[in-house]
Amino acid sequence: MSAAITLWNKHMVKSLRNSMEMSSMLIQPVLWVVLFGVGMGSLLGPNMPGGQDFYITFMLPGIIALTASGGAIGGGSTWLNERLQGIVKEYLAAPIPRLSILMGNALSTVSKGLVQSLVILIVGLIVGANMTTNPLGWLGALLLVSAFTLGFAGIALAMASSTDNTGAYHAMIMLLNLPLLFLSNALYPLETMPTWMRIGALINPTTYVVTGLRYLLIVNGTELARVEAIPLWLCFLVIAIFAILGMWLASRRFKKSLN
Amino acid sequence: MVESSNKRLAIKAEGLVKRFDENILAVNGIDLTIEANTIFALLGPNGAGKTTTINMLTTLLAPTEGSASVAGFDVIKQANEVRNAIGVTFQETTLDDELTGRQALDFHARLYGMSKDQRTAKIRELLALVELEEAADRTISTYSGGMKRRLELIRGLMTDPEVLFLDEPTLGLDPQSRARIGDYIVELKEKHGMSVLLTTHYMDEAEKLSDRVAIIDHGKILTEGTPSELVEQMGADVITIIGHGNREEFVSKINDLPCCETVTSGNGLVQIGVDSGSKHLVEVISQANQSDFVVDDISVAKPSLGDVFLKFTGRQFRD
Ligand SMILES: Nc1ncnc2c1ncn2[C@@H]1O[C@H](COP(=O)(O)OP(=O)(O)OP(=O)(O)O)[C@@H](O)[C@H]1O
Ligand SMILES: [Mg+2]
Repeated sequence: MSAAITLWNKHMVKSLRNSMEMSSMLIQPVLWVVLFGVGMGSLLGPNMPGGQDFYITFMLPGIIALTASGGAIGGGSTWLNERLQGIVKEYLAAPIPRLSILMGNALSTVSKGLVQSLVILIVGLIVGANMTTNPLGWLGALLLVSAFTLGFAGIALAMASSTDNTGAYHAMIMLLNLPLLFLSNALYPLETMPTWMRIGALINPTTYVVTGLRYLLIVNGTELARVEAIPLWLCFLVIAIFAILGMWLASRRFKKSLN
Repeated sequence: MVESSNKRLAIKAEGLVKRFDENILAVNGIDLTIEANTIFALLGPNGAGKTTTINMLTTLLAPTEGSASVAGFDVIKQANEVRNAIGVTFQETTLDDELTGRQALDFHARLYGMSKDQRTAKIRELLALVELEEAADRTISTYSGGMKRRLELIRGLMTDPEVLFLDEPTLGLDPQSRARIGDYIVELKEKHGMSVLLTTHYMDEAEKLSDRVAIIDHGKILTEGTPSELVEQMGADVITIIGHGNREEFVSKINDLPCCETVTSGNGLVQIGVDSGSKHLVEVISQANQSDFVVDDISVAKPSLGDVFLKFTGRQFRD
């Protein structure tokens, strides 16, 4: 564990030093909320049950999920870079558990994701999303987002362990990322989807993180989330399994890449 | 009992084989016994299997066949103990460009669980050794190639390893840096009892630094011994001939002469080891004339490790 923390620390030091990375990391989610939320809100708002402002409230959890998956993709490309530049050899020759190498990367991805989520929540409050200020709700939300990020980070790390080509990695992961966002209830409610899409959304972990976040963050979120007929405990269960599966996949692909 | 006798060996490898894919046999049955407190040089042309051997000994690659132990620990069953006991400088750079030199060293030492005080002291000592104090707080991306190499070398020394692996450590360094690093490696051996396995393409370096040398090609060790043992095999003098014409006949004629201990021929060169160069020069030239071999250039010299290398690999030491 201490090796994972050392590696986490290294990744964090590198990110903090990189002002371009830092600013884009913080600005990007703000842009999503402001441009997409407000824009789509005025387009769809009249059709939403809660009116125009409600769309921002509705899609905020989706933006958190999207940002988390973006962070995980970044963690995967950090890993791929370290593999391609031979930096990984330093870790492999050191007396540390192999798994801690992956954990260090995943932990830093989760940490950055948490900071971004907080930024989104605060910006959401500022632009008038109808959010709870209950600290327990926020805590639960951050926990859920962390587990979701971990799962997605696992997928990204697995893909980054399976290829030696940066372009191929990004192409593959974008292909995966797209349905994860759009084939979910992040941007539109389940009930308005055609059946095939609803089935797709129901096997997509994004749906569960988004629904869980609605329960936990939105005033009267229970009402909103209940429409989807997914209980809160199921959200936590699915995301926990997703996190474990993701990390399991990553460690398998990583071990395979060593020979 | 086995344990304690193994402890005195820095490295022991038995029948080490590494096969990549189906048909790339990078290492083809290597046996190595390296006593503790020795500097051992592995010499071989490009693609000989040096790096692959080091990768197996440093636990980065699992051997396809065979077994090995480093510092008395099995590289497969006790990989973590091996890792704890070794320091490695890889052939290709493994530095993270975005860190400063000091951060890179500190981070490395933390992976080995060194305390803050130990790290600070060691970093100061090693930065001074390679004269990187002034650059220490700059990001590595601003370093020159030689500075990066020096940093990478001292990184391998941060943890006072029992066995040090250096894969072409002085590649790209200027002569002063090479000499300093060489002296320091010898000092580490003499004062701290460190054992070193290194590969190099500089023959003078191998001859000067190492207690023992092995020549490797096509994944096999061709010969092994102290530098002077290997050089003495060549005879007292070496006659080196460059020429053209019927070389095969010439070589076979020389082979039949009683005076000549070794004959090698490769890359247009013919090398003949003799007990006394001046005595046999005339004889050799007359053999050339008899076999339609035109001598363009001929020289007599004391043999060197480079001649040994040429004899065993058929290639010049630095090609
Ligand atoms: N990962 C790999 N996959 C396939 N073949 C490999 C791999 N690594 C090394 N080889 C092959 O194994 C052989 C030995 O390579 P190795 O790197 O050990 O040589 P070397 O003696 O270190 O050479 P050099 O002096 O050029 O560094 C070469 O033919 C090389 O192409
Ligand atoms: Mg090599």
